[in-house]
Amino acid sequence: MSQPVTVTDLACQRGAFRLGPVAFDVAAGGRLAIVGPSGSGKTTLLRCIAGLERATSGTIRIGANVVADARTHVAPDRRGLGLVFQDGALWSHMTALQHLRFAAPKLAEADALALLARAGLESHARRKPATFSGGEAQRLGLLRALAPDPAVLLLDEPLRSVDVHQRATLVLLLRTLGDERGLTTILVTHDRDEALALATDLVVLDGGRVMERGPAVELLQRPATAFTAAFLLGAACLPTTVGPTGRIVTPFGEFDRPGGSAAALRLVLPPGSTIAAAAPAAHAGPGGRVLGCVPDAGSFRVQVAFEDQLLHSTAAAPLVVGSRASLSLRQAPWLLPWQPS
Amino acid sequence: MTSTSRALTVRWPLWLALAFLATFAALPLAVLAAQTVLGPDGFTFEAWRALLHDENLGRQAGATLQLGVAATAISLLLGGGHAWLTVGRDLPGASLLAPLGIAPLVLPPIFVAMGFSELMPASGFWPCAFLLGVAHAPFVAVLAARGLRATDGRAYESALLLRGRGRAETWLLRTIAPELLAGCLLAFLFTVADHGVPEFLTVKGKAWHTYAEGIMSRWARRAVGTTFAELQSPIVAALPFLAALGCLLWAALKLRADAPDRGVARPLPLRPLGGWRWPALLLPFAYLTAGVGVPVVVLARWALGSAQKREPMSLQYLQQSFAKAMDQCAVHLGNSVALAAGTALLVLLLAVPLARRSGRSSPRLELASALPIAAPAILLGIGLVRAFHDSWLRALGNDFYSGFGFAACGYVARFLPFAALTLTGQVRRLPVAAEEAGALVARSPVVRAFRLHLQPLAPAAWTAWVMVFVLALRELDLAVILPAANATAVRRLANAVHYQHEDWSGVIALMLLSIAIVVPMLPSLIAGRRLASLS
Repeated sequence: MSQPVTVTDLACQRGAFRLGPVAFDVAAGGRLAIVGPSGSGKTTLLRCIAGLERATSGTIRIGANVVADARTHVAPDRRGLGLVFQDGALWSHMTALQHLRFAAPKLAEADALALLARAGLESHARRKPATFSGGEAQRLGLLRALAPDPAVLLLDEPLRSVDVHQRATLVLLLRTLGDERGLTTILVTHDRDEALALATDLVVLDGGRVMERGPAVELLQRPATAFTAAFLLGAACLPTTVGPTGRIVTPFGEFDRPGGSAAALRLVLPPGSTIAAAAPAAHAGPGGRVLGCVPDAGSFRVQVAFEDQLLHSTAAAPLVVGSRASLSLRQAPWLLPWQPS
Repeated sequence: MTSTSRALTVRWPLWLALAFLATFAALPLAVLAAQTVLGPDGFTFEAWRALLHDENLGRQAGATLQLGVAATAISLLLGGGHAWLTVGRDLPGASLLAPLGIAPLVLPPIFVAMGFSELMPASGFWPCAFLLGVAHAPFVAVLAARGLRATDGRAYESALLLRGRGRAETWLLRTIAPELLAGCLLAFLFTVADHGVPEFLTVKGKAWHTYAEGIMSRWARRAVGTTFAELQSPIVAALPFLAALGCLLWAALKLRADAPDRGVARPLPLRPLGGWRWPALLLPFAYLTAGVGVPVVVLARWALGSAQKREPMSLQYLQQSFAKAMDQCAVHLGNSVALAAGTALLVLLLAVPLARRSGRSSPRLELASALPIAAPAILLGIGLVRAFHDSWLRALGNDFYSGFGFAACGYVARFLPFAALTLTGQVRRLPVAAEEAGALVARSPVVRAFRLHLQPLAPAAWTAWVMVFVLALRELDLAVILPAANATAVRRLANAVHYQHEDWSGVIALMLLSIAIVVPMLPSLIAGRRLASLS
């Protein structure tokens, strides 16, 4: 039976790194991805939820039970969780079947074999992990986590060691088995595509702090911070200045300051938000060197080196790689603070 | 260390192992140190000053250091050279020769000395250094081979592409320097602590003496009226030496610990020897001939009656030698095997918890458990006698001191570091994440410990058991000092060859050798494991 997970003001000190305070919740059967660059604290957060790290402060609830707070630290094996590790973390001396039967002693051999068959591993039942490919190892890691029928499934970058051809198979397996059991799923990853394939809600983490959280669709359509736009959308974020009239000065002109914002702002340019064209000789406006140009449904996707950033732009006609391109805005610009105030 | 792994650690075996180390390694050395200043003629500054001006001690210390350095250089040349030429090289027969690098370790150094003393006058400094260098070269060979096998071939290929063959080889040599240094240190420690070979060569005409011999001769004369101060002086003088060896050991372990994890994503490519391919065979052959071939041939000739001037030697005489050996030494042989097997088993039971802790969370514990290596066996043995002779154990009416239990404890204290270091290395190689995955499984800590912590250690545990078994089987220094261990085959042999009993001594020595070879090969014979895994 799936359970909701609630994390309240969680903090964890690990050497010089401090995570949190972090707060979020996942409904029973919900799918949440914690995303952020390397070193942002997402794995530490997942390990705190699993009970492999002890939180400094804050509370973690799984269903109605408090599994961690100032006085409580429920052992990992008593939290009712399954955890899929980055590289499988399989037990090298056990066969695939032994993995499942050790993880779930009450699982009958026939049921274990049936579970292996669901993941296409029936022929590997009596083999040890040394002979498995990355995708097979990760599938076994998933089955091992699911075998005891956990209420919550934790995934630590499950697609990282899997080659691109096996990713689709593993995503399908994760979603199918998770949906069948109505599992609450919490995933950590630095890969946007992995997050969007496996989760419906996102928590964006950087430097141990939550930058933003919400439904994935909302964060993709209208991020509240430049960091989220850069991380999730691959947007270029250009610094701006404030002009004498109080307007925001950018390489593309001056714009009014968005209402309610007092922080320093960046000009956020998501892919396709600018138009590139061959620059005339005397062009003085914004522009840069063309690094690449590929056709894309009637137009061209162009990569332009602009200031110290890489801009993903659109062009009506092909541009010569190495030539200069002029740039113009295609839509109203996003002016966002780098992080929440 | 995470809270989970803390919770998973079963503490009492660790405390038991630490208590054992404290009782049978630290306490004897502490008692020795204390008695030098607290004894009836306790050492004063005056006594220390006198010691510094004791020419005899000075000569012994000088000879020991020179012997240690010279023998270690020979170990490096032979053992290091053997590994360098047989691991990842196109030397003919390299795959067969490489695992044989460990072979001379199965022979007690005194057997090597016995073998060579038949062929040449072996009483000089260099013959002695050569004999000890050959006997201890396996330490360098095994560790150097391990370093080479642990080196990522891609890193070597990068150096090869950038700087050429010569520089790439230099890079490789630098990469395995921590292993070479650790091997040399072990060879040095065993050389300076060995009293059996120098003493044996004294019978053959050697006129100079080493420190270990000095300690041993004072110890042997204690029953015939040597004063306490005279008896203590070599021990007192050995204490700073012991401290220096401890520091060296610390440095070697630290160097190894600080060496980056090289990974083994791809083994070293086959490195061509070019025109040296066939001539290079000379070194492994010379090493194995000196370390195994010559002693075995001499021992076999003894068994056939050569020392008794039986011409021609005959199988009939061999049968007689065998009968004499069984009559004279069967019990001793049984004692040796039982003591070695029991020691190896006890060592494993104590080494596993030490390795688990030092490999996962307390690297300093590795140093603590390795320190007994730095104590020469003679000092450890004398310390054990001093600490436990007439002790409270006897007051309890228990003759523990004279029994094999006490001898086994002494052997365990001496050889525990080897198993602890081997198993610590293996623990470090096992991924922490796999153990954490086990932490989420609802099984009892005992089941988890057995299935997830101990089972993956099994191959390394077997290697450690074999290593300790072989070392204990050939141990002479402790066998001379600890009462029950006097009744072992090696101790009996060391005496017997002085009394023209070479014929049956040769048989016993060959039987010991066979046991030391066959036991490690058992899993290979039964399960088809590669022999290289032992080296």
